[in-house]
Amino acid sequence: MLQQDSNDDTEDVSLFDAEEETTNRPRKAKIRHPVVSFFHLFCRVSAIIVYLLCELLSSSFITCMVTIILLLSCDFWAVKNVTGRLMVGLRWWNHIDEDGKSHWVFESRKESSQENKTVSEAESRIFWLGLIACPVLWVIFAFSALFSFRVKWLAVVIVGVVLQGANLYGYIRCKVGSRKNLTSMATSYFGKQFLRQNTGVDQTS
Amino acid sequence: MAEAEESPGDPGTASPRPLMRDLKAVGKKFMHVLYPRKSNTLLRDWDLWGPLILCVTLALMLQRDSADSEKDGGPQFAEVFVIVWFGAVTITLNSKLLGGNISFFQSLCVLGYCILPLTVAMLICRLVLLADPGPVNFMVRLFVVIVMFAWSIVASTAFLADSQPPNRRALAVYPVFLFYFVISWMILTFTPQ
Repeated sequence: MLQQDSNDDTEDVSLFDAEEETTNRPRKAKIRHPVVSFFHLFCRVSAIIVYLLCELLSSSFITCMVTIILLLSCDFWAVKNVTGRLMVGLRWWNHIDEDGKSHWVFESRKESSQENKTVSEAESRIFWLGLIACPVLWVIFAFSALFSFRVKWLAVVIVGVVLQGANLYGYIRCKVGSRKNLTSMATSYFGKQFLRQNTGVDQTS
Repeated sequence: MAEAEESPGDPGTASPRPLMRDLKAVGKKFMHVLYPRKSNTLLRDWDLWGPLILCVTLALMLQRDSADSEKDGGPQFAEVFVIVWFGAVTITLNSKLLGGNISFFQSLCVLGYCILPLTVAMLICRLVLLADPGPVNFMVRLFVVIVMFAWSIVASTAFLADSQPPNRRALAVYPVFLFYFVISWMILTFTPQ
């Protein structure tokens, strides 16, 4: 059952650690939704490829721009509504209540006891890799467009940064949970790393 | 885009939101713009797909057929995009600073969807421009653009005016008027070559 993420430091899948020694649940390594995983990466990567190869593919700026915007929109919709839910069990949306106030809701699926509902590690890796790498690339493109004065491409690149950044932000909020915030999570992560290094050094000496 | 929703897909299973439902929601909002009446649909279930489609369509139609492939309409496309989105964001900020109780994305949604009459006007103008140029041609286009401009204003104020305190309404509506005026001007002064 989907619930708001509570303060569960021990049972959450860590965002950064690939191997988690505290886990006691076997994580499947195989990919359960190959089509979904493919599409998660396909739209993002093809938008980037079209942007980089636009001069070679077509002499028309308009075609490239419209293609990139279409790909980015499809990618946004797919990642927000489909791949996040299926691959890592997270979702986020906006809800406007009776008073007209808007709430942003971030949810993560609680791990159930059934075997087939655990998050597969390979899928999780693919998901987060795709989610993080692409907005970073678009930000790099933004700076390069700005500094090389190719300003007409700046509109497209900003659309890319906004759409993919929004998904990234939404899913990180889902991951971190509603009560923790990013600074406390980063502090606890670095604290754990620091402790682990220190105790590791003590054991080997 | 993020949508307001009462039930974002079935929470118990992993089934995704159906695409058809989103498409129907967008179509319903288009209908609400064409026949504006007091309803909360545009505000409660906001989404930005409609404005994106309209903006891209409008920008595509506002292209000049240029013989020189270097300037192949690129700057004008980006220009329309920037004017529409930057204008909508500015109006939203303005209405929020005036004390309106509408959220950022709701306002963007309403302003974007109310470009629909002007997009229709652009379509009609392009068709009319296929005929012989002349004063009659211009008068027809002027009439169409004025009617659609008025329609956009009426539709957007029907949704936006309620969110402002009464003594600030004119201040909030004036930028909307300017925004649609600029777009109407671009449509009216468009010539294909």
